[in-house]
Amino acid sequence: MIVNILLYIDFLMLAVVVSAYIYSSMRERKYLKQEANQSLELQQKVYQAQVLKEISERIGYSLNTNKIVDIITSSLGSLLQYDTVAYMVLEEGGKVVFKCQVENTVNHEFIDEVKQKMLLSYEAILNTKIQTSGIDESITGNILDDAAKVRVRSYFNLPVVISGKLVGLINVASKEIGRYGDEQASVLYTITNQAATTVSKLQSVLKSEKGKLEAVIYSLTDGVITVDLNNQLGVYNPVIKKILDIPEDKILTMFDIVDGLAGKVDLRTKIEQSLAQNKSITLPEVILKDKALELTISPVKDDENQIIATSVVFHDITTEKTLDKTRQEFTAMMVHELRAPLTAVRWSSESLLKNLSAAAGTDPAKIKDTVITIETASNNMLELVNDLLDVAKIEAGKFDLNAQEYDLVELINEQAKAFRPQAETKHLAINVIGPPKFKMKFDRVRVGQVMGNLLSNSIKYTDSGQLDINLSVDEKEKLAIVSIKDTGIGVSREDLGQLFSKFKQLRGSEHARKGTGLGLVVTKGIVEAHGGRIWAESAGENLGSTFYFSLPIK
Amino acid sequence: MTKILVAEDDKLISNSLCDALTTEGFDATPAYDGEEAVAKAKELIPDLVLLDIMMPKLDGISVLWELKADPSTAHVPVVVSTNIGDVETISKIIEAGAVDYLLKSDQSVDDIIQKVKDVLNRTVKLG
Repeated sequence: MIVNILLYIDFLMLAVVVSAYIYSSMRERKYLKQEANQSLELQQKVYQAQVLKEISERIGYSLNTNKIVDIITSSLGSLLQYDTVAYMVLEEGGKVVFKCQVENTVNHEFIDEVKQKMLLSYEAILNTKIQTSGIDESITGNILDDAAKVRVRSYFNLPVVISGKLVGLINVASKEIGRYGDEQASVLYTITNQAATTVSKLQSVLKSEKGKLEAVIYSLTDGVITVDLNNQLGVYNPVIKKILDIPEDKILTMFDIVDGLAGKVDLRTKIEQSLAQNKSITLPEVILKDKALELTISPVKDDENQIIATSVVFHDITTEKTLDKTRQEFTAMMVHELRAPLTAVRWSSESLLKNLSAAAGTDPAKIKDTVITIETASNNMLELVNDLLDVAKIEAGKFDLNAQEYDLVELINEQAKAFRPQAETKHLAINVIGPPKFKMKFDRVRVGQVMGNLLSNSIKYTDSGQLDINLSVDEKEKLAIVSIKDTGIGVSREDLGQLFSKFKQLRGSEHARKGTGLGLVVTKGIVEAHGGRIWAESAGENLGSTFYFSLPIK
Repeated sequence: MTKILVAEDDKLISNSLCDALTTEGFDATPAYDGEEAVAKAKELIPDLVLLDIMMPKLDGISVLWELKADPSTAHVPVVVSTNIGDVETISKIIEAGAVDYLLKSDQSVDDIIQKVKDVLNRTVKLG
């Protein structure tokens, strides 16, 4: 719809201002008569209203110069008496159009006289010479009779001004002397002036509408183009260049658009289809090199329901597609991570049942092993489900803390102690550095979970070396900062920023370890719920990493 | 004794699977990642490989391709056991040359043992 109107308005660029210059063959006259006859004035008003209505109806929304002058000219018959009415338009490129309507029989000389008077007047106003050789002349109406002894004895010339530029003259001429007096001058002046005002208003409305529409199209985040019926590119907005990877300063042609689509869509055929079926066609997924687009091709119609062009809207759906894929991957991973322990529980309990019902010969050690497998699997699953619930709470902003005053050092030591057996299986030492005691307010269980997650991660990704836990207190900023430094596989620069994202689990094929990556999301949520911050540093892959979290001291 | 290679990164699942297979009288050997699976398959030349898809270092489909590309292991029947149930993965698995696939969470241990026995019988008869 917007494109439709815009295109339409595109043709209607110009203003028409008609002002009257009245000449008389007899003498120069004053324009307005002070003592106008009351009834005549009323009659004139009715005429004027009628003529104006007719003019504006016929002009409609079309501001084509020739057409407007033509319409005004042919509407004057009901208002004035004349033998000929003519208009002369100087078109761009210097061509002169002269059109004369003969109302009462005159001779060729009469027409030539009208033409000469108009040319002279035209030249006088423009102050230049007009080439008379290339006049496009047409005479309509009554027949010409050279035997008729007639001359132009009175006439008017009315300049037509468009955007401050003279584009045409209207002439009424009579073979009678003194045909056009003050009354006629006044009527003509008023009529043309009002027509000018109406058209000016229309023009300014259209101009402001066009401005608004242009602003809308330019500010659209979708790329928009229009293609005319000769398959030429019409309007387009700057976004289209970004979408199709075309340099910003390039002036586009249809070729650039087709080229930008890299043969993924036969746009020409689709446009033809849309025109033939007289309806919109949507191509839901056009995959370019690094973009996914949704294309909508629609016929553009004018107010008479005639198709005048086609619009193509390029909607970039890359982000949605990527997000969709990420979400699918996340779901697939969660399903896998939940099914694995469930499967182990199921299979182990099946084996257990089988062994127990095998009457004699059941090995108690084997039964114990199986039960341990079940226990471990259940714990893993519970942990995962808890993480998922925590993430949901964090995302919903419903993460409640139970903050009380505790010794942070004590908590760190407890966690270090809890993880030492696990670390020792990989011959890793856990060192704690910091003050002997530091009391502050925090949620003991949740911060314990943060420590546990970070320690468990560090152990998982470190095969040799050690883990250093450091507590430092920033008195000025009122922050307690805990860091856990390992000598593990490290984190690449590009992955550092994504560590704490729900949908990102770093699954490098070389270093892949078990885990959903949800732990770090929960960890971040807990730290942020305390008003703290969490971040990681690493010199690069295989150079170890340090995870930091800060808690405000309250 | 019939040798079965259990390529499965989840230790718990691997434990319960190897347990069950041993109980049934098979010689079950675990491999905990894709690379280990390829190495052990080439070393042992097992009678059958039970192969997980989501594994570290080398995923199951790549393991399958490597086994099929090597003449010494190309004939070994591979049953893919996975929890990834999407059509795309399954068609990829079949295309890569697996004789069968099973969804772990849909199966009981007995089902898996039965499938292993079926595949072994079929292979022997065909051979």
